[in-house]
Amino acid sequence: MTHFAKLGLAATLMMGTATAALAEAHAMTLEGGMETNMVLLPKFLGILVFDQANEGAQEAHAELGNPGELLFVGPTPENSVAGQIEIMTTAATQGQGAVMLSNNAGDQIAPSAEAAQAAGVQVVTWDSPIPSGAGESVFVAQVDFGSIGVVMADMAHSILGGSGQMAVLSATPDAANQNAWIAAMEEALAGDAKYADIELVDVVYGDDQAEVSYNRALALVDSHPDLGLIMSPTTVGIQAAAKAMQDEGLCDQVKVSGLGLPSEMVSYTMNGCAPEFALWDFRDLGYLTYYTAYGLATGQLTGDMGETFTAGRMGAYTIEEDPGRPGSKRILMGPFTVYTADNVEAAAQ
Amino acid sequence: MLGRLSPQTLRILALLVVLALVLAFFASQVPNYFNARLFNRISSSVAIMALIATAQTLVILTRNIDLSIGSVVGFTAFATGNLVAGSPDIHPLVLVVYAMLVGAGFGLINGVIVAYARVPSIIVTLATMAIFRSALVEYSDAKSITSSQLPQWLVQFPNTSLFEVGGVQFRAAFVTAVIVVLIVHVALNRLRPARRLYAVGSNPEAAEMAGINLRLTVLSAFVMAGALAGLAGFMFLARFGNITVVAGLGFELKSVAAAVVGGVNIFGGSGTVLGALIGAILVDLIDTSLVRWALVSEFWREAVLGALILTAVAVDAILMRRLIRMRIAREKERLASMPQKEAAE
Repeated sequence: MTHFAKLGLAATLMMGTATAALAEAHAMTLEGGMETNMVLLPKFLGILVFDQANEGAQEAHAELGNPGELLFVGPTPENSVAGQIEIMTTAATQGQGAVMLSNNAGDQIAPSAEAAQAAGVQVVTWDSPIPSGAGESVFVAQVDFGSIGVVMADMAHSILGGSGQMAVLSATPDAANQNAWIAAMEEALAGDAKYADIELVDVVYGDDQAEVSYNRALALVDSHPDLGLIMSPTTVGIQAAAKAMQDEGLCDQVKVSGLGLPSEMVSYTMNGCAPEFALWDFRDLGYLTYYTAYGLATGQLTGDMGETFTAGRMGAYTIEEDPGRPGSKRILMGPFTVYTADNVEAAAQ
Repeated sequence: MLGRLSPQTLRILALLVVLALVLAFFASQVPNYFNARLFNRISSSVAIMALIATAQTLVILTRNIDLSIGSVVGFTAFATGNLVAGSPDIHPLVLVVYAMLVGAGFGLINGVIVAYARVPSIIVTLATMAIFRSALVEYSDAKSITSSQLPQWLVQFPNTSLFEVGGVQFRAAFVTAVIVVLIVHVALNRLRPARRLYAVGSNPEAAEMAGINLRLTVLSAFVMAGALAGLAGFMFLARFGNITVVAGLGFELKSVAAAVVGGVNIFGGSGTVLGALIGAILVDLIDTSLVRWALVSEFWREAVLGALILTAVAVDAILMRRLIRMRIAREKERLASMPQKEAAE
């Protein structure tokens, strides 16, 4: 909020109202019907959550009546990093209005993203940002990365009943979003006395592949006989870990939690292997990302901090500094849903 | 006694020695390491890799390589899951045959291009690796197969314990894989058509002179490898339940690693699937154990795994050379000690 307060200062003096009220009053409504071609670039093709994001983007595309094209292109799984860089480079030479990127290439993509920006292409990241922020116009964050840490710590607290050992099963060692969330969780665990009896004993990586994650989950159980919980902030890892615990009859001893898809996790939540997990809505994320990219590509948004606009059905959002990456800009979507036996079946439909 | 064993048997013995050394090393480093649970872990996990290593071995024997094998496993796992999700009452045997046929179909594509268009297999399968994976992305339509869509018998099959000795479980998936490996092993040693794979791999010109149809032999190696990869896809589906487009990613390199560690000559013509099985066990054992070895951080694990594989291969090669030298010496001794008359004959 402090960034916003600073930027809204002039307006505050002029109108003499509180900054919070200003946000609503000054939320710009984007004008539809302007033509710009855009590319939605997921980490790779063939994963449900990215298709959901595409659905949301298509919804916004139709709603805004953009006569231009919205392309959903991505690399194949085995070629993710090189493929993303290639598509980014191609988008620059094609003169696309905007590229919406869920980055899987770390900072390696920054040079081609900067080249795209130099060619007049807006680079809007979503889901996973460019870690250094170089080459990125703005990052549409699904949830506050810090609050994911708190939610994971809270789920651990509730599942372990306040005390016990937990371990993390992540995606790849260089996944920007997962690393930020794990760091945020460690911070949350260290910051509050109520987590004092929860011990984080290990962090391992399943490379977002079912078989590696499955074996890593079992190795965690073998290395730490007193382990009570595996926290997996990735949809592949949490499912593989839950399956491994169920297969080996370990669900009574070791619970699984983290970030998962209700449709994939419903059976494990109902049988108690994964009593609680969380996720946000990827359709909404695609929708908000499209509105942001459209606004920037059509020149209606400048992309400056403090700028506020209305993203259709989702309401007003403000561009602010990313607390996790000083100097970079983000738009915060939030919130996310915690799924338990009470609501998971409805969400899995 | 060692002198009388065939080089093949010697190699397998050498591998077993290396396996024992690796086990002893990690047992000294990792607390609570050597127990029945370790066997259950490794055997369950190796069931899939054993099939893929066997498939890769068949192709490598003919001086070729199949890099598309991971994509074939992924595709068949998804296609088989899709079939059984749509018609849950399908007979298990039909499902297995379906998986193997889908895999064999991909093998046929590889085999025809390699054998009849004469394009080097490393190029062909590098291309089909990407093509088959893209086909899976297209076919899957970004849906996943989840274990809740699968019938109970399929999900329970891999972990069903067939028999148990003091906590050591022999589970269905592992036993099936070992049986398949043994069948292929016996076939390669005893059946004339299967011996052609060795002939083609060790000396293609000589094999052709001997009247062996080179192209047909290479083609059938790829088709059989495809069918085995299809079976592995079925096992993958049963074990992991959740199938996305990344299923089987990276299996091509793991299968080559298992085969080469298992003593299969990368230039074709020599090696056994039994060796490849032990190679698969060794690679899996090292990989799993490294996670539990606190000394190695995540970022170094890949490098340490690579180094250990190199060491394993080197130790295996040295032991082999020693044993062969011993054998030659013994043979000479035997000849020397023979009565002159017999030697003259």
